[in-house]
Amino acid sequence: MIEYPEIDRYASLDSPMHRFDPRAKIIAFLFLIFSIVIIPELKIVIIGLFFAIFLLILSRIPLSFVLGHLKWVALFVLSLYVMLAFTFPGKEIAKFYFLSITAEGLYTGSLITLRAFSAVILIFPMIGTMRFDTMIKALDKLKVPNILVQMLMFTYRYIFVFMDEFQRIGTAMRSRGFKLRTTLYALRTIGKAMGMLFVRSYERAERVYRAMHSRGYTGNPKTLVEFEIRRRDYILAVSIIGFAVSLHIISFFLP
Amino acid sequence: MKREAITVRNLCYAYPDGTIALEDVNMAVYEGERVAIVGPNGAGKTTFLLHLNGILRGCDGQVEVFGKSVGEVKKEEIIKDVGIVFQDPDDQLFMPTIFDDLAFGPINLGLKEEEVRERVKKALLTLGLSSYENRCPHHLSYGEKKKASLAAVMSMEPRILVLDEPTANLDPRSRAELIGIIKELNEREGITIIIATHDVNAIPELVDRVYVLNKRVIAEGTSHKIFSDVEVLRENNLEVPEVFKLFEVLRCFGYNCEELPLSIDEAVEHLTRTVEINGGHLHLHIHEHTHEAVRKLKSKYEHHLSNLRMKEEGAQTNGTKRSG
Repeated sequence: MIEYPEIDRYASLDSPMHRFDPRAKIIAFLFLIFSIVIIPELKIVIIGLFFAIFLLILSRIPLSFVLGHLKWVALFVLSLYVMLAFTFPGKEIAKFYFLSITAEGLYTGSLITLRAFSAVILIFPMIGTMRFDTMIKALDKLKVPNILVQMLMFTYRYIFVFMDEFQRIGTAMRSRGFKLRTTLYALRTIGKAMGMLFVRSYERAERVYRAMHSRGYTGNPKTLVEFEIRRRDYILAVSIIGFAVSLHIISFFLP
Repeated sequence: MKREAITVRNLCYAYPDGTIALEDVNMAVYEGERVAIVGPNGAGKTTFLLHLNGILRGCDGQVEVFGKSVGEVKKEEIIKDVGIVFQDPDDQLFMPTIFDDLAFGPINLGLKEEEVRERVKKALLTLGLSSYENRCPHHLSYGEKKKASLAAVMSMEPRILVLDEPTANLDPRSRAELIGIIKELNEREGITIIIATHDVNAIPELVDRVYVLNKRVIAEGTSHKIFSDVEVLRENNLEVPEVFKLFEVLRCFGYNCEELPLSIDEAVEHLTRTVEINGGHLHLHIHEHTHEAVRKLKSKYEHHLSNLRMKEEGAQTNGTKRSG
């Protein structure tokens, strides 16, 4: 069985974050994420990180699920951290041969790392608490350009189909004795298989387009949704946005 | 005389690379009729179906839907009447949820929200998919996806339903279910049905008339007529239903029948009649020609294999000299 990249695996749980109106949720969280990633002050970012973790716990999404995804982010961000620590100019605090770690480097590295973690953690209570198709519809309702919405929609629908297809190609290759090694032959074969996948996708796209055409596609599909925004949603959205704004006010007055 | 639902005159079509796909195709399907289109792989069946709602346009020739010429009236006019269910449900279901997919067509027809919801509900009910509204297509089984694709077309309430290989790759139960649904749609709502299929055992119970298409229309007639035409079957890699074959064998054993049954239902009817006439018995026997007749019959239906064998032998004699 393949593991699908299902960010919305826990969308059917129940929590204040799950009950939050999708449109209000998207706006409030995006606002919060953008405010945290532009904070210049490490202490304030730490407050932001704690708030992100608080919202995550509120959403009841299992921590193991989140950590599983975070590890890839960590791999990327931590390498950046190491690089900054060694290369940023400033006061030297340690030295290995010709490489030196600077205090400014550590500070900037921590700042960027923690900002990134806060942002990624916030993605889970935002996107992980509703079904992906609900999010697409919410984006549509929020007047995100229709072409982007359609791209998201088709990506979401067909990523699973293509994954299955590539899986089938892989199985067919393995069952005829193909082993994945780092030889030129193996790489070339994988390349050809990827090429086949592109060809198949292209052909499928044509068939899908015909099916769409057959049902009156005019380039601007609409969907029917029932979103209902209540007072609770307003309060929640305003308090999240308020928190984001206050982070900046504090950092402004900080000496 | 019933009026013509679909009229095709002198249709021809070539693929972009110049290969001829359809040549001078003529066809008339009457309102409320059920018609099958059979033919070998690559005969242009799918290409032909795509002409019926104007997705593809032939070089010359005409397709008319209820007297309206495709290409002269607005696209929506035709799409409203002709619904095509494609073979691969993953092509057909392109929206994130089943509900969205079923609503897609009606919304494009410009219907009001309540009516769209009404139609979606009705289509789900017809196909027995009421609890599937919010499911995502990638969580469904192939059979369920196939039914959902039919529902997605039914929500547009077409008067003509065109199905490309509706029974392919289905398990027996889903297949029977789908055949039942198609028949019911035709009988209860008077929807005209056009099916492209290889499933010969489904043809007798599913359709009234058969077209054999292989770039051009090779033959046309009732299932009986087509399945009795050995020459056409041989030329176009076609098969006959197993029941039909069985009764031909029975005939070699002295069973008396003029018109061979094509489906189990017909067979039961036929047997009952014969047994009643013969005073409660069925009389079979072996006479001097029986074995010879059975052998001939078998070779008649092994034409696919014998064609292959002939080709192989030809290749061998052309190459090295054959050893005894």
